[in-house]
Amino acid sequence: LALRSVNSCRSAYGCVLFSPVFFQHYQWSNSVKMNDNDLTVSNLNCKLGMKSILPIFRCLNSLERNVEKCKIFTRSDKCKVVIQFFCRHGIRRTHNVCFQESQPLQVIFEKNMCSNTLMIQPRVLAEAIVLFTSSQEEVTLAVTPLSVCLKSSSDEPMDLTSSVYSEMFVAPDEFDFFQIGVDSEITFCFKELKGMLTFSEATHAPIAIHFDFPGKPMALSIDDMLLEANFILATLADEPSRTSSPQSLCLSQKQKRSDRLGSNSEAGKNVTSKAPECIQRKVAPKRLYPKETLTDVSALENHDSPRMKRANGDLSEVPESSVSNTEKVPGSLNQRKFSSMFFGAVSSDQQEHFNHPSDSLATASDSEEDMNNGGFSTF
Amino acid sequence: MEVVVQAQCPGPSLSLPAAGVSNMVAKLAKACTLRISPEKLNFIVSDKVANGGVSMWCELEQENFFSEFQMEGVSAENNEIYLELTAENLSRALKTAQNARALKVKLTNKHFPCLTISIELLSVSSSSRIVTHDIPVKVIPRKLWKDLQEPAVPDADVSIYLPVLKTMKSIVEKMKNISNHLIIEANLSGELNLKIETELVCVTTHFKDLGNPPTARDAAARDRDPAQMAEVHLDIRRLLQFLAGQQVGPTKAVCNIVSNKMVHFDLLHEDVSLQYFIPAFS
Repeated sequence: LALRSVNSCRSAYGCVLFSPVFFQHYQWSNSVKMNDNDLTVSNLNCKLGMKSILPIFRCLNSLERNVEKCKIFTRSDKCKVVIQFFCRHGIRRTHNVCFQESQPLQVIFEKNMCSNTLMIQPRVLAEAIVLFTSSQEEVTLAVTPLSVCLKSSSDEPMDLTSSVYSEMFVAPDEFDFFQIGVDSEITFCFKELKGMLTFSEATHAPIAIHFDFPGKPMALSIDDMLLEANFILATLADEPSRTSSPQSLCLSQKQKRSDRLGSNSEAGKNVTSKAPECIQRKVAPKRLYPKETLTDVSALENHDSPRMKRANGDLSEVPESSVSNTEKVPGSLNQRKFSSMFFGAVSSDQQEHFNHPSDSLATASDSEEDMNNGGFSTF
Repeated sequence: MEVVVQAQCPGPSLSLPAAGVSNMVAKLAKACTLRISPEKLNFIVSDKVANGGVSMWCELEQENFFSEFQMEGVSAENNEIYLELTAENLSRALKTAQNARALKVKLTNKHFPCLTISIELLSVSSSSRIVTHDIPVKVIPRKLWKDLQEPAVPDADVSIYLPVLKTMKSIVEKMKNISNHLIIEANLSGELNLKIETELVCVTTHFKDLGNPPTARDAAARDRDPAQMAEVHLDIRRLLQFLAGQQVGPTKAVCNIVSNKMVHFDLLHEDVSLQYFIPAFS
């Protein structure tokens, strides 16, 4: 089971893969109407609205107290996912969520090729996070072979009303794995890091952070036996003049349809070279911009256009001078290359019928208006 | 002009009061003034219109909190520094010092004058970690200092010890739902009442046997009938702001009432003294 999401300005992508053993019972039946072409694999690929599904798993505490079993199954003939909670006292709660078919959104990112890799227990990172106020949008991670520093990022000149500038040094020996190939300072969105951290605290597995230089996306990943999660975040490029036209990330040439899973590392390399992962940033620092290789070639392309309702309204704030692509994301979707996931843990036999022990869905945050982590406690 | 302040293993002793004070100030006003002098630190909120005329004066003796305290004021005759800062910034920064091993505060100038707080923390994995916060501040020029002096303790008609603040707070919170206009009255027999009156309902909470501070009792020689109440009409929200800021029960809490003019709260929390002035409804 793969759950994927990308935020509306395409600066953050999350994917969580659940292996069948995560569930008590995982069953996939072949008799699905839509698989009437003869692809060797037949998956159910669909998308659900966040606002439909998050409220179902919202109150984690009450779910844990009351729900004995959770069953999720799909009715392909009805384009619906049914989520059933079998609660105490014989109560059964059923939610029907309609879905739309869509091609999976996938990203190529060779995390193993990054020069810098850190692995750290989530609690350690969580301690660092409390230093930063929620009003700070971005944080900067600065690494050298001898030190790691997490600091608040702001390029506006400081004044009396600014937020506090905070920084925290973490010694290399606090990391489970520490490999720094190149000194680097990357800046990325704080909110997404918080979201990922909440998820990782639930899994108790260490978080691996893979990154290179500013501008290149970074990956946060968790890998334990039952699931594998990857969150790919855009980082701020080191642009001397911010209003200059960015090299777009989506000017990669149009490609044919989806590569399947089981990706090829060449495709990965191709993409990284062709689509410079610059992210445009407005002078008044706001959101990070679309990162590399995020594409979505689907039959329903227009439907996949990101919801433009971010609270910040960044996309609309983009200066005129910039190249058009990155902002008008829907348009650029057509340009984008479809890239496939890089980890092989994904089984191509995605099953339809599955039982799901009462556990929260892991989803990357989407727009700012959506609850950051529906089922998780918020910071 | 320089400030270097250091505290070793402050633990609860520094962070709690200082964080508590800055927390309280943050609830009261956005900006506050920090006055640093050789002997003490003061948090000052002066009676701007924005606060509804409320003012606050808080004092800490530095030697009770810091192992090392070094400061150099504006000049030799005026060996003080007045800084304006956003209270919330300070309270957040101090919050991380809750379990600190060591704390250092310095006045720095990094593109902008800042109060730099360096905290040495012991992390979960038992290794040392250094956290730094730069809080932007504005140095207040000497000509404005006169507005920021310790307010005179008013000549009160009645002085009385306050009841448990938490109780008072929950009562005032409920009363706020009924009316914005609160009457606080007390007498020299240890009785204090909180009253609200509307067309439909009157609610009064009576506190008895509170006791009056000795100075008040002496002044009672000024033949004031001990049972006579001195009252002030207040904006309930100001009172609530004050009560909401009191996280920890004070060692001593006195309320001075100047009839129909203002209420003065005089609190002592361990080694931190706090004075709060709420004017009457105009």
